[in-house]
Amino acid sequence: MPLSFGNPWFLAGALTVAVPLWLHLYYRRTPIPRDFPSLRLIRLSVEAMTRRMKLRHLVLLALRILALVLLTLAFARPFVGGGSVAATGSGSPAAFVVILDNSLSMGTTHQGISLFNTARARAVEIIDQMGQYDKASVILCNDPGTVLFPQLTWDKDELKNAVRNAPLSVSGTNLAGALQPALKLLLPVRAFKRTVYLVTDMTKTAWEPLLSAYDLKRIDPTIDLVVIPVGGAAPPNIAVTELRIDEPMVMKGRPVTVRATVVNHSDQPQSTRLSILIGEDKKSEQAIELGPRGSKRVDVPMTFGDEGLQHVRAVLPADALPQDDVRHLAVRVRAPPRVLILCPPPERGGMTSREDLFLKFALNPLGRTEGATFLVDSRTLEETAGLQLSDYTAVFLVNQRSLPEALVKGLSKYVLGGGNLITFCGSRVDPTWYNANLIDGLGGGYLLPARLFKRVGNAVSKAVSYQLTDLDTGHPAFKPFEGDGAGDPGRAPVYEFYQTQPNPSALVLARMSHGLPGIIEERRGQGRSLLITFTADTSWTTWPLRPTFLPFVHASVMGMVTRQGLNADAVTPGTPISMTLLEEGLKRITLTPPAGPAQDIPIRREGGEGLLHVTLPPGEQPGFYRLRLEGSAVREEAFAVNPPAGESNLERIPDKKIVRFIRLEHKAGSKQSISRQVVAVREGRDVSMPLLWVLLLAVFIESVLANRPIRAGGGPRI
Amino acid sequence: MTTASRLSRYLDPKVLASMAALEIKARNVVEGFIEGLHKSPFKGFNVEFSEYRQYVPGDPLKDIDWKIYARTDKYYIKEHEEETNLSGYLIMDTSGSMSYRGGNAPLSKLDYAATLAASLAYLMLKQQDSVGLVTFADGVRKILRPRTGMAQLKAICTELEQTKPTDRTDIGDTLDRVAETMRKRGLLIIFSDLLDNTELIINKVRQLRTRRHEVLLFHILDHHELTFPFEDTTLFRDLEDRSEIIADAFSLRREYLRRMQQFVGAFQSALRKSGIDYLLADTSRPVEASLKSFFTRRQAVGARLA
Repeated sequence: MPLSFGNPWFLAGALTVAVPLWLHLYYRRTPIPRDFPSLRLIRLSVEAMTRRMKLRHLVLLALRILALVLLTLAFARPFVGGGSVAATGSGSPAAFVVILDNSLSMGTTHQGISLFNTARARAVEIIDQMGQYDKASVILCNDPGTVLFPQLTWDKDELKNAVRNAPLSVSGTNLAGALQPALKLLLPVRAFKRTVYLVTDMTKTAWEPLLSAYDLKRIDPTIDLVVIPVGGAAPPNIAVTELRIDEPMVMKGRPVTVRATVVNHSDQPQSTRLSILIGEDKKSEQAIELGPRGSKRVDVPMTFGDEGLQHVRAVLPADALPQDDVRHLAVRVRAPPRVLILCPPPERGGMTSREDLFLKFALNPLGRTEGATFLVDSRTLEETAGLQLSDYTAVFLVNQRSLPEALVKGLSKYVLGGGNLITFCGSRVDPTWYNANLIDGLGGGYLLPARLFKRVGNAVSKAVSYQLTDLDTGHPAFKPFEGDGAGDPGRAPVYEFYQTQPNPSALVLARMSHGLPGIIEERRGQGRSLLITFTADTSWTTWPLRPTFLPFVHASVMGMVTRQGLNADAVTPGTPISMTLLEEGLKRITLTPPAGPAQDIPIRREGGEGLLHVTLPPGEQPGFYRLRLEGSAVREEAFAVNPPAGESNLERIPDKKIVRFIRLEHKAGSKQSISRQVVAVREGRDVSMPLLWVLLLAVFIESVLANRPIRAGGGPRI
Repeated sequence: MTTASRLSRYLDPKVLASMAALEIKARNVVEGFIEGLHKSPFKGFNVEFSEYRQYVPGDPLKDIDWKIYARTDKYYIKEHEEETNLSGYLIMDTSGSMSYRGGNAPLSKLDYAATLAASLAYLMLKQQDSVGLVTFADGVRKILRPRTGMAQLKAICTELEQTKPTDRTDIGDTLDRVAETMRKRGLLIIFSDLLDNTELIINKVRQLRTRRHEVLLFHILDHHELTFPFEDTTLFRDLEDRSEIIADAFSLRREYLRRMQQFVGAFQSALRKSGIDYLLADTSRPVEASLKSFFTRRQAVGARLA
């Protein structure tokens, strides 16, 4: 710890060290001359003694110098304290920031005592030591962190009340996010003794991001960083860290698998019981054995009987940290989506077009009306008059030469309002008409993700074949082909396709083997538009005959459907949700939190064209949040807020890894209370008295050593 | 006594007076330890016939009995049993270290040794024994062959007075020379501080003893050498080679005394085992006290021999 001095001018007394040095050298240089019969014995004795003598002389010299230095230091009244004391002197006022860890892990209770309550008490103890001219602030270090006092304040009572009323969060810890504003508050007040007090439970998951991302040694050394650990050793904890459904779309009456992961964050094997609930209805309960620091994934088959938004929960018996024993999932259960195929006119013999056949087969292979994944409605252009496009989840536009103007406008509105358009090309497609009417003529409401040019290849001669490459397996359309052996759409030859130029905001999901875009997607308003540059039948490609065609069509439609509305799969507590809507008629949005009344959410209109911006307040409570959007129609969304899984790991970080921080430990029954230690760090400790004791000891040792005859040792015989 | 006191400063009347009281005892002592020497086992050529023996090359031609040769045509040498008085050498170390005289000491080491030597010479000459003197430092300086009569005492005293202590000590070479010089069995009295190679000295003295000489060794040391009473940081100068060393005498004392004890003990044990009489003479003690203790010891030896 750095030193400061109450009477620094006394340090000039250090010059007296010259006295013993001079005496030492003087007596070494002025020996008394004396004749002696023979120096043989003396020389032998001297040789034997020299080393011991030299050592003794050095020790004596060191002791004498030490005695003088100690005497000087004692008169100068040294204070041992932090860097701030050294920089400003012990009498300066203090400016400090208390960072109170209110993350989820602080919710641990041990033998009925809440860790967070203990932390609050420690923080109040620190603030209690505030002097008349001191100023301070309080920062909560949950993620993303809250600065309770943006300016340093002198009001001790206000600070204490803020600490007492600080809520326990269910979010993670963001030490860096709290430390940075704390330092920012302290940096300007250089005349003050500056200290950051961090009251935390020392979890590894909280500290490691800070230690890996920041070099704490580079923080201004005149600012003391003090850590006050609370909670002692980590209690055993079991948590549900994951709850999800892998199927892209949950449909009423169709079995799905609910997947939960349970983790044991202790060094002992543990057993527990996991329950899965839908709403308040317990659907499953099973016993789980967990090894030390082990985890287990539990798959529970489940069928949802009702359409709409469902609240699924995975629940464990409560332990030391009850907040992570429940995990929530918001599930939208849907009826089978309706799909419209705008098929080309019948063949010359009055036969249905082949593209229509292939698509209908791909979407509903068994042609079922009950229990099918998709309900397919195939219409020609003439049959679309009076059709309500919003009744369909997706519209397939298949190899059409041109469309009626009314239908074009209807499709544009349909897509912008949340509909999905999938366009297959073919020999009937007129690129000029498509570009003029589906892109240029619609202004901002265009329908195609790419501009069409000439045709590439020859499907008649089939001289050259192309394959789909560079598949974007991160996209839901190609997700089924992600793993090895899951099939490869690139194995199907494509003999002819349209050369395209994708729009700037479009995504190329697959390219042809020589690099031109093959499948392109673009988000348009609330909906999406997908363009396949070749045919849906076998005239330009054999893909519709391949087993990978059906999963591609299914995954494309499902991906479009499930990505509509609010996308809030991983919402953590304290994180605001922001979304942009294109609903001109939207009048009111209400949010119903897990426990509490519904609240209206303000709507901000951005620019016009029906573009709305909505920011939901941060959900502090984990659970199921329901969102009601009222306009021309009423729509409901939902999302679940869960604590971050990392917070469940209560393992403590080893002390040696915490650099730069001064550690103040509260010991039960000890006189060394936190408040005393805080004062010791802030004011420094007067060490003149201990120095005087050390001085006495040094003088005593010097006296003994100087007067003690040197022990005669062995040596060569005469 | 007066004659003696005029002879030399080394013949201190007080000492001689004290010796007078010791004279009868001394005579007994001297006779005691030289008893048997008067009847020498060595075959000489003086008084009583002993035997004939055949000439061997190397025998002096003058010893050949020509009468026997005339009769037998062979060379014979006629041997007689020698009967003579005791012959002794006083061997005096006159090296530089013998000039040392510690703080309150009345005499330097050399003066103390010379006083002892002169006193013993006086005693021996008084009972008609012959006494010689050898002075040495880094080699033999002077040899006075043993003679009887008080003139020899004067010669010895004069030589002792004229000798100045200088140079290093080389006892080994000196004892070799004395052994060569003194072919007959005799008494050798060595006065030295023995500040030379310890093992070499012991070996040489043992060799003298092997030749059946009676050897007495006075180990002359100053009181300061024995007690090392110095306390300050001191520049010690060697009296023999003038080398210097600075040492803290106070802290050195314990180690020095241990080594001095070791040094003296080495001579005591080695020489006494070989039947060589060793006496440590502290120059702070009166000379007569040293002589008294010497005579007391010799008396004990004489009684043992008798």
